[in-house]
Amino acid sequence: MSEPHPRRAAITGIGVVAPNGSTTETFWKSAKEGICVLDRVTREGCEHLPLRVAGEVRDFDPSAAIEERFLVQTDRFTHFAMAAADLALDDARLGRPETDGSPFSVGVVTAAGSGGGEFGQRELQQLWGKGSRFVGPYQSIAWFYAASTGQISIRRGFKGPCSVVASDEAGGLDALAHAARAVRRGTDVIVTGSTEAPLAPYSVVCQLGYAELSTEADPARAYRPFTSAACGFVPAEGGAMFVVEDEGTALARGARVQALLAGHAATFTGASRWEQSREGLAHAVRGALAEAGCAPEEIDVVFADALGVPEADRAEALAIADALGRHGTRVPVTAPKTGIGRGYGAAAVLDTAAAVLAMEHGLIPPTPNVYDVCHELDLVTGRARLAELRTALVLSRGLMGSNSALVLRHGATGASS
Amino acid sequence: MTDRITVEELAELMKKSAGVTVAPEELGLHNPGFDTLGVDSLGLLGIVGELENRYGTAMPPDAERSKTPRQFLDLVNSALMTGA
Repeated sequence: MSEPHPRRAAITGIGVVAPNGSTTETFWKSAKEGICVLDRVTREGCEHLPLRVAGEVRDFDPSAAIEERFLVQTDRFTHFAMAAADLALDDARLGRPETDGSPFSVGVVTAAGSGGGEFGQRELQQLWGKGSRFVGPYQSIAWFYAASTGQISIRRGFKGPCSVVASDEAGGLDALAHAARAVRRGTDVIVTGSTEAPLAPYSVVCQLGYAELSTEADPARAYRPFTSAACGFVPAEGGAMFVVEDEGTALARGARVQALLAGHAATFTGASRWEQSREGLAHAVRGALAEAGCAPEEIDVVFADALGVPEADRAEALAIADALGRHGTRVPVTAPKTGIGRGYGAAAVLDTAAAVLAMEHGLIPPTPNVYDVCHELDLVTGRARLAELRTALVLSRGLMGSNSALVLRHGATGASS
Repeated sequence: MTDRITVEELAELMKKSAGVTVAPEELGLHNPGFDTLGVDSLGLLGIVGELENRYGTAMPPDAERSKTPRQFLDLVNSALMTGA
């Protein structure tokens, strides 16, 4: 081991399948224009449930993206994951010729808040409707929250370290951190991220028990965090996958380093204890800054968790101030998820994609449908804001009490330091 | 239902249960392995379950361990003949 520099985890590929676009390009175009795609729930069997508005992925054709033998054995959340992984690997220019030669140097890490609800419901209906002999064998793997990691690795022939992070909604950021650690420990490439498909009847009914869920029927009013009209969050499906690799290895093969995963920390403060999440989130931010060797003033933009529950929004605004000091009231904060919904584990992963693209384009995407901010935050509303962005902070909290913070450095900045 | 299971029916089941599309003639002529065809162990288990539901009879335990379609058809058809 005589490496001249410590290994650093770089993002070299992004793949997005989101309500506002089934490619990274369409996602970014819609996000930067502040377009809201929240709409009435139309997924089969969900139309008459009390959840009225959601972020549905409507322009995604699984059969065009994934081979049939993988489709029959997987749920929609894994369809998203496999498709997003393909997009990320294409973006990183890592095809089969590049990875087949050293399959043990490529691993997969995903996070999922629930798993394959739609597939599971179908098989359970077979069980209770016809009997156990009519339950298909793929039920054993498809509804499991670990399915996407397994299927991506099988489908692409990856044999490196594979794992699944189960830590609530903040698991999305935790998966990226886990991938970064695996890269620093010696794996060349990790395909990582999170996708969710919570818009099937069984899954929606499960969510109806969340006090934080918005049941507002007007898409323009359903998800407005940081305002006095905040009435909860709107769920979404889809997600993002990334290619994370050792910076040196990436540069040596001529890859483009889009960003560096510079620091991360996670805390736990208990389910729906939003007031306490202030302390937990602030502690996570401090930990992430410390790992990144980053001063609070260096943060150029914050991608907020933005739950849309007054108590939780207040806790987040205070946590930003606690952790960043006076800079916390001046730094631009944004929550593009108000335009697409909150995809549980996938939400902060989509924010991470938006943060990397924001740094690349020098443009902070706005927070759709939010106008009168009632907290001491410089929330970017209305239209995108031009800004030189070298360092971004992404925040995430889960309904079950997890808090997580991730510091990203712009690729060009990181490479020269 | 005492008919033998044909390559056509097996091909149809492979598509339905395992998502693998293959021409029946291909199964009859070349007898490729299930692994080559992309039918994994759970896929084959699904095919066995579907046949048991269709024919209302248990298939031999070894059926789901078959390596090739020909081996599989020989096993399930001999079981159906015995059952009949």
